[in-house]
Amino acid sequence: MATPERLRIAGGAVHDPANGIDGEVRDVCIEDGRIVASLPAGTPTVDARGMVVMPGGVDIHAHFASSSCNHGRRLLPEEHAADPVPAPALLDDEPPARSGTGGTIPTTFATGYRYAGLGYTTAFDAAVAPIMARHTHEELDDTPLLDAGCFVLLGNDEYLLRQIAAGEQERARHYVAWMLGATGGYAVKIVNPGGIEAWKAGQRNLTDIDQALGASSVTPRAILDSLTDAANDLKLPHPVHIHGNNLGQAGNSATTLATMQALAGRRAHFTHLQFHCYGGEAGKGWSSAASKVIEYVNGHPEHSVDVGQVMFGPATTVTADGPVEYLLYSTSGRKWVNIDVEMETGCGIVPYSYREKAAVATLQWAVGLELFLLAKDPWRVVLSTDHPNGGSFLSYPALIRLLMDRTAREEQLKLANPKLLAGSALADGLSREYSLNEIAIVTRAGPARLLGLAGKGQLGVGADADVTVYARDGDIARMFASPRYVIKAGRLVVEEGQLRRAPRGRRLHVRPGFDQSVVRDLRKHFETFGTVAYDNYAVRDVPGEPVAIGS
Amino acid sequence: MTAGTIEHAVCLGCGCACDDIEVVVRDGRIASVRNACPVGLAWYGDGTTTTLVKLRGSAVGVDAAAAEVAKLLRTGPAMVYLAPDLTTEAQRAAIALADRVGARLDSVTSDTAASGLVAGQRRGRATATLGEIRNRADVLVFWAVDPDVRYPRFLSRYALDPVGTQVPDGAAGRKVVAVDVGDARGAARAGSRVALTLANEAAALAVMRATVMGRALGDLSPALEAAAELARQMMGARYVVLVHDAEPSSSPADPQRAEGLTGLAQALNGPTRCVLSSLRGGGNRSGADSAMTWQTGFPFAVDFSSGAPRYRAEEPASTTVTRMASVLIVGAVRRIPDEVARGLAGRRVAVIGPRASDAPFATEVAIDTGVAGIHEAGIGYRLDDVPLPVPQIVAGPISAVAALQAVAAALRSTGAA
Repeated sequence: MATPERLRIAGGAVHDPANGIDGEVRDVCIEDGRIVASLPAGTPTVDARGMVVMPGGVDIHAHFASSSCNHGRRLLPEEHAADPVPAPALLDDEPPARSGTGGTIPTTFATGYRYAGLGYTTAFDAAVAPIMARHTHEELDDTPLLDAGCFVLLGNDEYLLRQIAAGEQERARHYVAWMLGATGGYAVKIVNPGGIEAWKAGQRNLTDIDQALGASSVTPRAILDSLTDAANDLKLPHPVHIHGNNLGQAGNSATTLATMQALAGRRAHFTHLQFHCYGGEAGKGWSSAASKVIEYVNGHPEHSVDVGQVMFGPATTVTADGPVEYLLYSTSGRKWVNIDVEMETGCGIVPYSYREKAAVATLQWAVGLELFLLAKDPWRVVLSTDHPNGGSFLSYPALIRLLMDRTAREEQLKLANPKLLAGSALADGLSREYSLNEIAIVTRAGPARLLGLAGKGQLGVGADADVTVYARDGDIARMFASPRYVIKAGRLVVEEGQLRRAPRGRRLHVRPGFDQSVVRDLRKHFETFGTVAYDNYAVRDVPGEPVAIGS
Repeated sequence: MTAGTIEHAVCLGCGCACDDIEVVVRDGRIASVRNACPVGLAWYGDGTTTTLVKLRGSAVGVDAAAAEVAKLLRTGPAMVYLAPDLTTEAQRAAIALADRVGARLDSVTSDTAASGLVAGQRRGRATATLGEIRNRADVLVFWAVDPDVRYPRFLSRYALDPVGTQVPDGAAGRKVVAVDVGDARGAARAGSRVALTLANEAAALAVMRATVMGRALGDLSPALEAAAELARQMMGARYVVLVHDAEPSSSPADPQRAEGLTGLAQALNGPTRCVLSSLRGGGNRSGADSAMTWQTGFPFAVDFSSGAPRYRAEEPASTTVTRMASVLIVGAVRRIPDEVARGLAGRRVAVIGPRASDAPFATEVAIDTGVAGIHEAGIGYRLDDVPLPVPQIVAGPISAVAALQAVAAALRSTGAA
């Protein structure tokens, strides 16, 4: 079928929660890349009768296009060898179809094709070292089909820490604004505030938000305060995106709750929350603290989360959180990459596998599901696996099945190691099953809203024409794994389950205003301690207009 | 530009990619270069280059030459070989050609730094970007390399001399140790030295790692005892930087060296912090490794002939090339390893790159393009994978990207796939 400027998706059951539409059979009309109210008779039509129609998926947090990811790819030739990805047979030759390889961190073209194959049309790389942002934009140039952007790592950067130590919050705010523009970033990402600098400086880590960094007065609390206020004062479309201190440690729910309480009343997003919800005590035992943490989230509408669900099977842990990866390396004996990134952050990579027979992996799996199932507001609890840390984005359909089908959860639980599940709400029986509407919220409408992307995640008039059409299937995982049609910016890119077109996506970035006086100070900082000249630092020619601020 | 001054130019003479270079241009030529080392000065030259397009020795237009390159690539088995002095934009365009025609794809890394990359794939890495070395290192151990020889500004710009956030006294706050392995000498400016041979190097690295991990060692020879003592000193440091040369030199080297150094660096992150810095040659070699990895999954030695990338790291390009019917070299042909150049004998060869028309062997097609960072702007990667914007200093011939796009267009128009 040719791709016209106009397209009608006719007769499907539409799930568009942002506009209050929950399974209503209706047409979705597209013209020039946007949703329109109606189209004349005779418009080319996709017959969606009997099918489910949703906005294109929005992935708020994944690792797929960064220097860190690329080091992960390089580390895993055996995975790539086992998963060759021939170039798809596309109808258009511009841009040309490209081959690649898969595994837990697929190559860039394969990533774009596979996301589209799931019906995802927007995604963000959640952790980019500012000095490496230029690399990310090159990778995004080679990742088709996604409107994409990146979150820029701050919170262990030398310049910011100096401003915090000196009480220079206004200058810190201008610096954050400058940094987002210089890197072509979309949001501020905080990973283990102060902890990565502690790792690099020999202090090893910061595990308490009031622990001082070295001899300074700077604490994780101070870093969180500074960046959260900066992001909110700048009215960024997405608030600070926080990977808190103490990830992955027994008993870390106390740190998580302390962090949330520190930011009570202020917009903030807490990412891959599952990895931060453990009870127990280091060296003595683990338990689930999901109930306690989600209860707090339920009561704080200013906070949002994405779950970071663990899925049994292979994964690769890729994070800026250097100390966490050192611990994983030293306890697992697996291959390990550590890269200290000057003046800014770090990178740690350890390939991993979550096995049902492993008690801790089962606990992690259960914690994630508890967060989903005990959450009261699906608009603030986003589906993610922290790809590839908790599992590949290709496992999203299986995760959706677990959320929608209690029997599937119970069957999986029977195969798993229950040793650490005493007191777990999931083990006690959680009967909730997500509806299609709730799935549409946690995979599309909710993340789009939290990202401040008014045109995404919804099918109202004027929205971006990113649409996914699923053929109903009793096997929910199979249904979500193979959409029948995917429309990206008004173009039919998947037809009858086959990828047919692979246009480039848009770059999503912000460019907040800042006081130019910070530039003088930054130049001095670069000259004194940097190895890259100030004039060479900023990414030039980030494609596309920046997303409006404060809207 | 024909006249003016470019500040903060990025030199790709070696992998240090110094970006404080000041270039003065007069009458369309490079008149002077400030801050560059001898390697950089030689790389910049006066900026003049050849601007020819030749088909079997006769001048032709770019489109005609590109059409012949396309035909040549369809004469399988074919290889696309990434030589130095390309932007990553050009490298990506070249990789696309190889993918399109199902060719072999390789780069200079295959015959130079491959053993280190493969070691990294087996074990992982413990490393840092150069600014971390500058700002934190209190102990520097130069293993069989004196950077002053081939990376002349490494010590002054990144490692030894500069003041750092944790090293406020610069060189005075750092200890430098040289490990000499046979005639491969460590840094001449070292305050102490350890002498090893090729025969005992692997054992020394094993002893050092065992020392760091607290394993009991029996009686050691004097050389191995010296190595163990060095390990103990490193354990007492705040931030140790091990430096080695990932590129081959005139001194023989154990191909297992990189893996041994990696294991030692990783182990040292128990008692202290340690990184291994791998020196790389010039011309954006790290960029080629990075671009090949994100597009194919593998940093070098890729085989597209089955329709998807396969890794052929067991065979260097210098061997693979001898089995090819045709080879397209993209990049500075005079900077490719001699063994690769020798392997081209009897192949049908096309070159797209700086001074292609002046290749030291017979070519069917030669399209002169510019040098990344001199005639062509784009992105070049430092040896620590930091991406930098390389400028255009003086005008040059057609860009490598444009020439490669012409080849791609020729392939499309004839339906090659």
